[in-house]
Amino acid sequence: MSTASTETSETVVHPRRDNTREPLLEVTDLVKHYPVKEYTGLFPTTNQVRAVDGVSFDVAPGETLGLVGESGCGKTTTGRLVTRLIDPTSGSIKFDGKEIGQAKERQLRSMRRDMQLIFQDPYQSLNPRQTVNTIIGTPLEVHNLVPKNKRKDRVQELLELVGLNPEHVNRYPNEFSGGQRQRIGIARALAVEPRLIVADEPVSALDVSIQAQVMNLLEKLRKELNLAFVFVAHDLGVVRHFCDRVAVMYLGKIVEIGDRSDIYEAPQHPYTQALLSAAPDLNVVRGAERKERIRLEGDVPSPINPPSGCRFRTRCWKAQDVCAQEEPLLEIKSGARQGHQIACHFPEIKDDLATSLENTSA
Amino acid sequence: MSLGAGTEATMVADADERAPGPAPREGKSPTQIALERLRKDKVAIACLFVIGFFVLVAILAPVLVSIAGVDDQLHLDQVNPLTGLASFQSNADHPFGVKARTGEDLFYQWAYGARPSLVVGIAASALTMVVGVTMGLLAGFLGGVVDTVVSWIVDFLLSLPFLLMAIGIVPIALQRFGNPDSSGFIEEGRESTIRFIVLICVLVLFTWPTVARLIRGEVLSLREREFVQAARSLGMPTKRVVMRELLPNLTGPMIVNLTILIPAFIATEAGLSFLGVGLKDPTYSWGQTISQGVTFFDSYPIWMWIPTISVSLLVLALSLFGDAVSDAFNPQTRR
Repeated sequence: MSTASTETSETVVHPRRDNTREPLLEVTDLVKHYPVKEYTGLFPTTNQVRAVDGVSFDVAPGETLGLVGESGCGKTTTGRLVTRLIDPTSGSIKFDGKEIGQAKERQLRSMRRDMQLIFQDPYQSLNPRQTVNTIIGTPLEVHNLVPKNKRKDRVQELLELVGLNPEHVNRYPNEFSGGQRQRIGIARALAVEPRLIVADEPVSALDVSIQAQVMNLLEKLRKELNLAFVFVAHDLGVVRHFCDRVAVMYLGKIVEIGDRSDIYEAPQHPYTQALLSAAPDLNVVRGAERKERIRLEGDVPSPINPPSGCRFRTRCWKAQDVCAQEEPLLEIKSGARQGHQIACHFPEIKDDLATSLENTSA
Repeated sequence: MSLGAGTEATMVADADERAPGPAPREGKSPTQIALERLRKDKVAIACLFVIGFFVLVAILAPVLVSIAGVDDQLHLDQVNPLTGLASFQSNADHPFGVKARTGEDLFYQWAYGARPSLVVGIAASALTMVVGVTMGLLAGFLGGVVDTVVSWIVDFLLSLPFLLMAIGIVPIALQRFGNPDSSGFIEEGRESTIRFIVLICVLVLFTWPTVARLIRGEVLSLREREFVQAARSLGMPTKRVVMRELLPNLTGPMIVNLTILIPAFIATEAGLSFLGVGLKDPTYSWGQTISQGVTFFDSYPIWMWIPTISVSLLVLALSLFGDAVSDAFNPQTRR
């Protein structure tokens, strides 16, 4: 994406490189299965949709983790699980050292302040019957952050922070464009001064020029407020622009996780390589030679009955017998740097897939 | 916002927005937009006048009858002792004529008959909405066992035949609450009060399931909307999510339903009174007047036609108004 790859953020956090890293959010073996009834035969059988099937990652304060993968691989579910909008089937979520994976709603309430969501669709995420003042003022009221008479000032301050006219506090969402609505959603998330924001494809519903504006806004806020992000996206360009670390998901599992440079410059998992090779390259327009494109055959298998062993084996060109028998573990492979883990039996570095940034800016 | 001409204007619109513009104006809520659209609808305004006229008749019934100089006494002198009918259809003393045999004034009964129609229509539909919306909200938002139980009750009630039940319930209620003496006689005032209450109860009992079902569906789709998720992720208590986030978004379907229910109930009240299970003297109602007058539709037509036309006009006006309201609240219709 042109907007994303033009510049890269200056302050890349590489907490993995030193040993003082203390995670803000730690997710271990997170599982979410949805029961579905199937009515074939005489009696209904209950199957499990394995939406998220054992996902582990962590996020340090001020760090940005990108979750990428194609539709239906469990990115959004993971985001919702982390914020506890849905209950995990099993697994642990630790926020700030406290276990919240199975906590009750009442116990979660104080934690809710530190963790916020930005939603994908700005037309769905704002209550059409409330003014901007109410929408952004509600979090202040719920958590009793600002005395009542100062609430409106704070709302206007927040509007200014996200680049909207503070005079528009009395307007309704239907009077704003998509980009402006997304900014209102961001202002609402920021109202409680969170430490972690789970952004669920925050720009994919916006058109490209607005995407850049919103991304730059998030970048600015992240630097100013030292926010940690879990950034769910399927746009690899946006993730490269914004994220310190990237986790690639396939069918409810993380197949490769590493620092941005690891994933984009030295991807080892065939699925990551296929994803990267599918991203459009602007340099081709400028006359550069088209890079090799890896085409994946077929569809993502059903999460109700995922393939044995490695889940990617049904579409992988390297698949051998061992892939069907043994599930590859997510671990550091030879040639990978610290913090770069790959779940594959036959990892292999391919370094020519992503657009090189020098070429783009030239 | 000061926008220049050309495409550059839209490119910089965002930055421009911070520039000092005209004084801030109040925003328009979806309800305000709907009301504005309603105000432009000529049919709706005409209907409002018709509805207003009947409401005024009901409220001002005592004034109207004193202006017309009519009362609820028997006027045996006004009817021909042989045929039992009045010799006139309408005259200055009795503008809508008099009843056969007793000579009771029909204008008096028409003016006071507007009251139960409107009271039953409004009270029953308001109660229906309260019960239906509450149950729908509970079923839709809580889900699980509550949803199953409510849905089961809804299905059960909707499977009962309404007319049969209505006709059956009235005598039972009269026996149960009317304290009839040994000969089965029930005090007149008491009977008419019981009939009034039972009528409203029957209407509510058999209509709230429809409303609950509609609201439940609406809530099921609303609660998955991201703004409800956002409210939950803010740690908002469930009660507040329902009251502040869900309920305001249900005003559209609620108002539309209300405007459909009121005329339906008025028509049903008239129908039940016609069948003899609705209201009875000394509570006058149009349905009851129609049922009495229908015997003389040939020889004394004014008796039947005045209440018939009134009830039809009121129901028609209310229904058209309901249509207009539902159009106004529906963002998909642009007329």
